[in-house]
Amino acid sequence: MKHINHRDVVVIGGGIIGAAIAYYGSKSGLEITVFEKNELGSGTSSKCDGDILAVDKDPGFNSQMALKSQKLVHELHTELDTPFEYRNYGSILVCENDMELEAAQKWVKQQQNAGLDFRMLDREDLRNESKYFADDLLGGLECQTDSMVNPYLFTYSLFEGAKRYGAHIHTHTEVVNLYKNQAKQFVIETNQGTFTANKVVNACGVWAPFIGKMLDIDIPIKPRKGQIIVASRQKPVGVRNVMEFGYLISKFGGERKVDPLIEKYGVALVMEPTESQNFLIGSSRQFNGYETKVDNEVMKCIAHRAVRFYPKIADMTVIRAYAGLRPWTADHLPIISQVEAIPGFYIAAGHEGDGISLAAITGKLIEEMINETNTSVPIEPLSLNRFHASLEHSFD
Amino acid sequence: MNENVMIICRCEEVTYHELVSTATKYKCSARELKLRTRAGMGYCGGRTCRTMVEKIAQSMGTNTPTETNISLKVQPPIRPVSFENLGRISK
Ligand SMILES: Cc1cc2nc3c(=O)[nH]c(=O)nc-3n(C[C@H](O)[C@H](O)[C@H](O)COP(=O)(O)OP(=O)(O)OC[C@H]3O[C@@H](n4cnc5c(N)ncnc54)[C@H](O)[C@@H]3O)c2cc1C
Repeated sequence: MKHINHRDVVVIGGGIIGAAIAYYGSKSGLEITVFEKNELGSGTSSKCDGDILAVDKDPGFNSQMALKSQKLVHELHTELDTPFEYRNYGSILVCENDMELEAAQKWVKQQQNAGLDFRMLDREDLRNESKYFADDLLGGLECQTDSMVNPYLFTYSLFEGAKRYGAHIHTHTEVVNLYKNQAKQFVIETNQGTFTANKVVNACGVWAPFIGKMLDIDIPIKPRKGQIIVASRQKPVGVRNVMEFGYLISKFGGERKVDPLIEKYGVALVMEPTESQNFLIGSSRQFNGYETKVDNEVMKCIAHRAVRFYPKIADMTVIRAYAGLRPWTADHLPIISQVEAIPGFYIAAGHEGDGISLAAITGKLIEEMINETNTSVPIEPLSLNRFHASLEHSFD
Repeated sequence: MNENVMIICRCEEVTYHELVSTATKYKCSARELKLRTRAGMGYCGGRTCRTMVEKIAQSMGTNTPTETNISLKVQPPIRPVSFENLGRISK
């Protein structure tokens, strides 16, 4: 029996992750329906940077997964109809003291040994990169495979591609309840009526835990707020993404030698030139619930940090600021997983500061899991079970 | 003046024609129209063109007014400010 509101695969969430799942899923022949409570790309995926990075990934599984995703994005840039400001110039990290330079050398060695395209940069290289850099910067490193996109155009572009393969996209459709009926179908109650489905993918980013709760599943994701300021185009400060080495430390929770305020808000420099030739300067890292207000003090710290690395931009103009919520997990890896207790329920969320980078591989993996084909990368490190492992062991 | 070449967003040089054709093609909200064309995303923060952009989205019948459409809101800084002045941290 099939009625009009029955769907094969329902994806909840219309951010970049939902977009990539809808695209690769429908391209593989799956019948995909997306429910988004607001507009497409209205969550974190329009309140972020657009860096597609391997430079900040742990050598090994993380960097290999990032590299796979970069290759997919490179293909998507010719495969999708709507351009999304793809620029593959590589990215660099800069060091402000000897301690960082030493750590950078180690990082480059490890990455090279893992087969990635990394190299060290000296003062001369930095000077050639941008004449706006502070003179006292010691050097840095470069990752050649990194690229940049416009994150919301990328999201739109993937959804347009998905529609062409037949995906149904419902915006302003909020999932308010989710359970399994006796026929083992999912019942999905929305503000636009009730649907049933064979499979459900939870791609709700920082809101994924609320969907989990509807099925009594604990999804350990927390919002980690990040703020960005936008500088207007005046002079080209650089053409590719630049981060301070301290970003790595800040991301993974290590100790840095910086002002207490900078430390408190987890501010580390990220400079991303956009195709419109403005540049985005970020960012901060804070656990502060679900609020996304622009905080003046944090904005000051970000500007302060920018001037430390680029003293000559002091008279350039900041025109805008915004804040988004990174879907954080304890081990900084996303959850891309089936849920054993609930056959047919999948989670694709928790990408923290890497959702744009890892969207493509995430979409591909979920497609492969649903179609039960070989996965592009091993999926054990991404399973929901990893968080409950200690619990399971006690039952052994 | 030909309304097709009439500039609605001066900072980003977005024409009336570009706005109308984008709104027609994607049947999108004011927010999406802004993100797709960059109208209102320039130096003045949309102070000059915000209402026009919203009107164009509405006249295409694409801007279903719901509470989520308030995203053309103004975010701090209220006025453009230099890095130097913004980045001054009192110690
Ligand atoms: C300041 C900042 C900078 C960043 N920079 C980068 C970067 O340079 N590179 C990078 O790779 N990553 C970056 N990120 C991370 C990246 O933005 C996120 O990982 C990514 O956007 C998450 O995408 P998502 O689709 O999971 O979530 P979202 O985009 O938030 O999408 C989830 C969607 O689910 C919808 N939803 C929620 N509940 C429901 C419901 N009940 N029913 C229906 N729909 C629902 C929401 O409305 C939302 O649209 C950054 C993040 C921040 C905050």
